[in-house]
Amino acid sequence: MARNDLQGSLDLLVLKTLSQRGQLHGYGIVLHIQRASDELLQVEEGSLYPALHRMEQSRWVASEWSLTETGRRAKYYRLTAAGRRELEAAECSFEQLVKGVRAILRYA
Amino acid sequence: MPTLRRILNLFTRDRIDRDIDAELQAHLDLRADDNLAAGMTPEQARRDARLRFGNPVVLRERTFGADAAPGLERLAADLRYALRRLRKSPLFATITILTLALGIGATTAVFSAMNAVLLRRLPVPDPQQLVYLMVPDGQPYGASNTGDSDSSFSVPVFAALRQDRRAFSDLMAFAPLSTDKVDVRTGNDLPEQASGEMVSGNYFSGLGVSMARGRAFTMADENQHAAFAILNYSYWTRRFSRDPSILGQTLFIKGIPFTIIGIASENFPGVEPGSVTDFWIPLQRRVELNPWGNGPDASLYGSPDWWCLRLIARLVPGVTPQQAVAELTPAFRAAAFADLQSSQAEQDKLKLVLASARGLQGIGDYDPDPIRILMALVALVLLIACSNVAMLIVARNASRQRDFSLRMALGAQRSSLLRQLFAESGLLVAAGASLGWLFALAATRALATWFRVETGLAPDRGVLLFTTTISILAALVFGLAPLRTATRAPVTGTLRSTSGTSSHGGRSGAVVLTLQVALCFTLLTAAGLLLRTLLNYERTNLGMRMEGLLVFGITPQQPYSSKERLAFYGDLLDRLQALPGVESATMMVDRLGSGWSENDSPTLDGVTHTWEEIPLRANVVGPHYLHTLGVPLLAGRDILDSDTPTSPRVAIVNQTFVRKLLPNTNPLGHRLGKLDDPKAPPFTIIGVAKDSKYRSVDERPRAMAYYPVTQMGDAPATMQIELRVHGDPLALLPTVVQAVRVIDANLPLEKPMTQAAVFEDSFSDQRLFARLSLFFGLLAALLVAIGLYGMLSYRISRRTTEIGVRMALGARRRQILAMVLREAVRITAIGIAIGVPLALLASHFMGSMLFGLEPTDKPALFAALLGILAVGLAAGYIPAHRAASIDPMRALRSE
Repeated sequence: MARNDLQGSLDLLVLKTLSQRGQLHGYGIVLHIQRASDELLQVEEGSLYPALHRMEQSRWVASEWSLTETGRRAKYYRLTAAGRRELEAAECSFEQLVKGVRAILRYA
Repeated sequence: MPTLRRILNLFTRDRIDRDIDAELQAHLDLRADDNLAAGMTPEQARRDARLRFGNPVVLRERTFGADAAPGLERLAADLRYALRRLRKSPLFATITILTLALGIGATTAVFSAMNAVLLRRLPVPDPQQLVYLMVPDGQPYGASNTGDSDSSFSVPVFAALRQDRRAFSDLMAFAPLSTDKVDVRTGNDLPEQASGEMVSGNYFSGLGVSMARGRAFTMADENQHAAFAILNYSYWTRRFSRDPSILGQTLFIKGIPFTIIGIASENFPGVEPGSVTDFWIPLQRRVELNPWGNGPDASLYGSPDWWCLRLIARLVPGVTPQQAVAELTPAFRAAAFADLQSSQAEQDKLKLVLASARGLQGIGDYDPDPIRILMALVALVLLIACSNVAMLIVARNASRQRDFSLRMALGAQRSSLLRQLFAESGLLVAAGASLGWLFALAATRALATWFRVETGLAPDRGVLLFTTTISILAALVFGLAPLRTATRAPVTGTLRSTSGTSSHGGRSGAVVLTLQVALCFTLLTAAGLLLRTLLNYERTNLGMRMEGLLVFGITPQQPYSSKERLAFYGDLLDRLQALPGVESATMMVDRLGSGWSENDSPTLDGVTHTWEEIPLRANVVGPHYLHTLGVPLLAGRDILDSDTPTSPRVAIVNQTFVRKLLPNTNPLGHRLGKLDDPKAPPFTIIGVAKDSKYRSVDERPRAMAYYPVTQMGDAPATMQIELRVHGDPLALLPTVVQAVRVIDANLPLEKPMTQAAVFEDSFSDQRLFARLSLFFGLLAALLVAIGLYGMLSYRISRRTTEIGVRMALGARRRQILAMVLREAVRITAIGIAIGVPLALLASHFMGSMLFGLEPTDKPALFAALLGILAVGLAAGYIPAHRAASIDPMRALRSE
């Protein structure tokens, strides 16, 4: 998947990452998505922070300032209950999308 | 989205910005740390981190955008900026706002009147289910009616129709106690006049009107004709200052005691279109309370041929009026003809119609045409006003083009320029619309008084919606109109050129102006036609001597027998005649010019003519009638004191009667029978009067008969007394009041006024229409003049150099003057050419509003032509004069 096509699924990726890793800062989210996808997916860093703040305003994620392992102050995000519900819904609709696209690709 | 929190975040922008900065910096640092660990130099590490990150300022803005609602912040800034700009050009702002206020205000006021007259429903639950019952062709032959023949029903018909349960969930009857008001008093107060109705027991429950105090009527109240009264909330407020102890007290109606048992809910005016009912009582069958104030004659409430009840029904949900009519017609016809001799064909002809109870036109005679035409006229004014404002804004923005180009060259976004233009036009429209709303509030109050609509024409929520809609439309148009010129500005081209000589903006302006002239011409023609109509009303010869006539009604208090009433009237006339200043006195049943009349089908020398053949109007009058009113007597004699109940029955007829029924013969001595009393001996014609106006100024001459009041069998309950006096009739009023008080201290004079005023009132609507249309016409002319003046001035200001060159090359001032004037005249001439067919079309629709002239009335068209030419020349002359006085040296140097 190319960089630009990530737009629609960025929310899903972020929510899933937070659900798998618990607390994480923005940079950590970028790294995780990159590693977990075997370098296939690269989050555009310019889009990540507006998305995180938007999700925070929607109360899907909560944030707090904390220290990293290397001793730097960073803003850590974690999933809320509403975020967990949103993640389920997003996962479900993504499955549908993939199923639909696959069906069309396989159509002879 | 939690919008509120995002708006609140606007106010803590600094703190949030710092937070975002710190977060983004942490990201860069973490990346740089990793890069260092991967073996980059510190400088490479930081540079790589920033490259991956993109523009940090943009990123901060976008992140902030997720946290707060910065659009609002921008909006506030745009509005502040627009306000500042408008304050810098106060003349432009004032003209624009006033133009819009007048246009929107006038439209709102007229729409508000149209809303009340045509659209507004009764303030009750589910008003769309309510229908008035109507008989458009009038009552069956032989039944007597109320004068409002198309909305009256008999008691048997009411009884038959209320049996039905399939079409109507409720059928309510109501009948006014008088054609006007009746005397009422409480306790020992002086009597005053109030409007009252007798209603069926289910009136309030069927309409769904709740009681503010006390209880509503019940079917038991109707069946027992209970002496209970319910007051209108507004009457309770006005008369009794909302005194709760009024419940249980006694209200004397025509001297008969009624117990007040309830106050109807606020805002319920009753169901008489356009007028307010002060109190209600259950249906009565007392002689004194005969509906419509009729005298105690044979046609009491309860007698089958007296069609006196008005009916309003609530349809069963889901039943259409057509289905209801089909359901009810058999029962209706059976009841209508139960006591009458009739043929099958006659029965089939009687039609029942259900009219939706909305606006004022349900029953009564509110003609919807004039208000629709007014609405069309005022819409034209609004169109002119809006196009004027659009032109003003376009011109203003065109002169700001350099400003726009400069800002765009400096990197301003198109969208931000657009937002500012919208903010400006939005501000202008909001100010104009608010001012216009205030203007409309005042105007509707005046309109309601002029139209005599007691229920008021005040704008309601529907009108507010209408005004808001046209305002938003206007704002959009004014915002969009300048876009073409403003944002398509070629940056380099405009910046390079100096005071440009481009004329492309002018062409669309000229087109708009031409159309404005056409519309204005149409409005002026309409105003001309209506003004000439008004003049015709004022100048019509009424056929009598109008100066020095005083008229008032008098209703002797019950109980007086017919004989006693006659004696009362005779005594009163004698006393009045003896007053100093009174030349002579007479009386009549139907006041001249009031719109009321007795109608009959004449039976002449035993031959009956139908109403369709010869409609005969009649009035019942006192002695010296023709003499007192100054109606010329052509043959025979006036009615005299010697025409008594016992003397031979006599009548006077008019010219038209003679022309139609007794041509080429001596009319005196022929015998005229009254249809409603065929067995009584006929009246011998003893005099012929010249034609004179009876019901209204605009009536055509009709055959007419005058009968002496002494010979009518039953003396009328109310008479209109007419006095011929020396000097000012109203100055004599106190003397007359004193004279009446001597006979009965409790007797009020009903509607005392000069006879001339009665006739003038009969065309007050026409006067109002003429004034309004003149106002609209002048407003349009003023707007067109401003537009024309503005456009020519603007063009000249841009052609200063050219004119300077022309003059330097030898052009004379007169030639320059002619050049500019030619432009104005060309626009006016083309406008008139388009306007003539438009005006003819408009006047064609106004045919029903005109009196004494054709829709193609030449003087009116000619006056409109002169008016619009004057506007064009006047608006053109000032800029032309200014152009002609340009100093060529200065003009050339200014470049």
